[in-house]
Amino acid sequence: MPALDPLFVLCAACVILPLLSFGGIMIFTWRRPFLSLAVSLTASTACLLIAWYIFWQRWGDPTPLVLNVDWLVSDLVRVPFGFLLDPVSQLMLVLVATISFLIQIYSIGYMWGDPGFGRYYADLSLFAMAMLGLVISSGLLQLFICWELVGLASYLLIGFWYEKFSASEAGKKAFVVTRFGDIFFFMGLALLVIFYGSLDIASINAAAVAQKMEPWLLTTCALLIFGGICGKSAQFPIHVWLPDAMEGPTPVSALLHSATMVAAGVYLLTRIFPFFAASAPAMTYVLAVASLTYVLSSTVGMVARDIKQVWAYSTISQLAMMAMGLAAAGLAHGTLFAGYFHLTTHAGFKALLFLCAGAFIHHFGTNSFFMMSKGGAKKLTIPMVTVTIGALALAGIFPFSGFFSKELILGNLWHLDNKLWVGIGLLGAFLTAYYTFRVIFVLLFPRPEGHPAWEKYYEPVAGGHGHGHGHEEEEAHGHGHGGHGGDFPGHAPEWAINLPLIVLAGVTIILGFLQGTLERFLLGESHPHEMNYLLLVLAVGLALAGIALAWWDWGRKGAAWEGFLSRVPALENFFVQKWYMDHFWRWFLNAVIYNLFSKTFTYNDRRVVDGGVDAVALGCIGSGRFLSFLQTALLQLNLLFMVLVLAGVGIYLLMGR
Amino acid sequence: MPAFNQLNTYLYLAVILFCLGLYGVLSRRNLIAVLISVELMLNAASINFMAFNRFLAPHPAVGQIAALFIMAVAAAEAAIALSIIVALYRKLKSINIEQANELRG
Repeated sequence: MPALDPLFVLCAACVILPLLSFGGIMIFTWRRPFLSLAVSLTASTACLLIAWYIFWQRWGDPTPLVLNVDWLVSDLVRVPFGFLLDPVSQLMLVLVATISFLIQIYSIGYMWGDPGFGRYYADLSLFAMAMLGLVISSGLLQLFICWELVGLASYLLIGFWYEKFSASEAGKKAFVVTRFGDIFFFMGLALLVIFYGSLDIASINAAAVAQKMEPWLLTTCALLIFGGICGKSAQFPIHVWLPDAMEGPTPVSALLHSATMVAAGVYLLTRIFPFFAASAPAMTYVLAVASLTYVLSSTVGMVARDIKQVWAYSTISQLAMMAMGLAAAGLAHGTLFAGYFHLTTHAGFKALLFLCAGAFIHHFGTNSFFMMSKGGAKKLTIPMVTVTIGALALAGIFPFSGFFSKELILGNLWHLDNKLWVGIGLLGAFLTAYYTFRVIFVLLFPRPEGHPAWEKYYEPVAGGHGHGHGHEEEEAHGHGHGGHGGDFPGHAPEWAINLPLIVLAGVTIILGFLQGTLERFLLGESHPHEMNYLLLVLAVGLALAGIALAWWDWGRKGAAWEGFLSRVPALENFFVQKWYMDHFWRWFLNAVIYNLFSKTFTYNDRRVVDGGVDAVALGCIGSGRFLSFLQTALLQLNLLFMVLVLAGVGIYLLMGR
Repeated sequence: MPAFNQLNTYLYLAVILFCLGLYGVLSRRNLIAVLISVELMLNAASINFMAFNRFLAPHPAVGQIAALFIMAVAAAEAAIALSIIVALYRKLKSINIEQANELRG
């Protein structure tokens, strides 16, 4: 056996350590929260160090490095197990390791006193393992396995408070809906294996660039794989699982929305970007779907009352924006940098926004940011400052990271012949700024006591009716502050919550200025960025206009806390109902799945399968009845028959020749 | 050539013996008689072996060994058959073969 490359060993360790931590906690230490925490945090720290080491080691070396060992070998197909290290995967590796490390730190404070503390950390480890494995896998089959593991881990974490019906339902929904997309993904992989014969990422990309694949195969596979991406990255029409995924603990939402679960989809899009870019029809389709998703999620975000819902819809919209950027780049023969850069910056500021939301939720015990505002959210200085930084980045304001990446994507869209796409991008930028700052202004400027707005937005803090979301945190919250778990002395450590916020805020501020450096790292060269001043002015102007409108509606002294949408009740209701997508799927389930497929298959099962088995049994009984007439109980008759047959055979053998 | 020194004579003898035995097996209702008839058939087979050995086979001992085997098998068969008959008699108080009809379909 040849000596293993040390980098291979490091990569393998990066994947195996969190898996060991998951297994170890689940089997041995899950009853002991602090030991579990130590195990998980050790693995996470090790991964962080390894990821940064690999990043540092390979800095400035854009040649992809493939480290493979044979795994499945058959006649036609060889499936290697291995790692692909190139700038794309290394940057993502660092990103995932860092964010999951920060979230593990944050969770110390957030999950303090929760009875499932050990299990929580085990699931986080599994999540980290799956995502790290996904990022550096060298073949699509290995990637698919990790992809499913990511889905499994997110199912476990979304349904973490499984005693609550809505949480376990949300977990199931996330799992089933993403699986629905994965079916297409897998069909795409199967097609690739059958007609191309390899699932190696580098080889697929090279073949697509060299136009060695037939166009129909390319387009079909790209569309099918995009089905999987739609599921994972919550694109229309199977985005419906993501808002419900807010049932999980808030750090999980942060992890899910920034660097892991949903990022996996866009990451796959960048991973095999040359493959996608080679098919113009597929890219157009991606662009259309992403644009639709972008508008949908931005508009729904404008009316949500739950802070996590707002961020969830903003995630969907930003993912759509990344997909738009990549698709536009694919159509205009650009590079993957814009979309990928947005993925990076988005991971930073979205994790920040969710962790801030978590800090508020932890403090006030409600998910409605109106109730947070009433409780005095602006007195929580660190979360308030950091959430504003995150919001500025999300809205795309200079000098925060979102500005740079959004501007790049809009630049990509601008290059397309059809200006509709850039129009949608600008509209989305406007809406994003509006709904983001709606949250900020509501948090910052509560109305005076007795203002009618409080009536309208009142939601009881514990139990009661309301959104259906929004109450999941109380149970854990009660535990958190009681400190009566026995194992958990005193209050949750504040620093554990605040430290990741500050780190991420710092990242959000500086990451934008690293644009050139990252571009050189990713592409090997940095193109001098030609400034499109018209577009720049338009984008920033629209974002500022959005903020100004938000200020008019929600921030200024006399503002009535009525969105401008409330003048068009029909439209507002349409958005509140989330474009009736949940209704559509409910109808779809009832009409198509239950009434059509389930009924047909039930009928098939009852009549054809069960009936077939029954027919065989009845046939056996009947033929047995019939044959039993031969059992005459007359021994000598049987013997006579035997003798005659033997005689007949004998005569035949003698005469027949 | 005298008749007793010809193969055919012994073959006819064996056929007659075999047919007698077969007739006994198929027609007698008494199980003991059936057993005796089976022995007759076995003896017919033995005679066949001996005859072929005497007139055709190059080696003088092969047919005799077969005949000895048949005798041993017949002894064992007689023991087993008799014990079955005894068991049947205990159950049915009869050794009439037509009364053993519990397995009629």
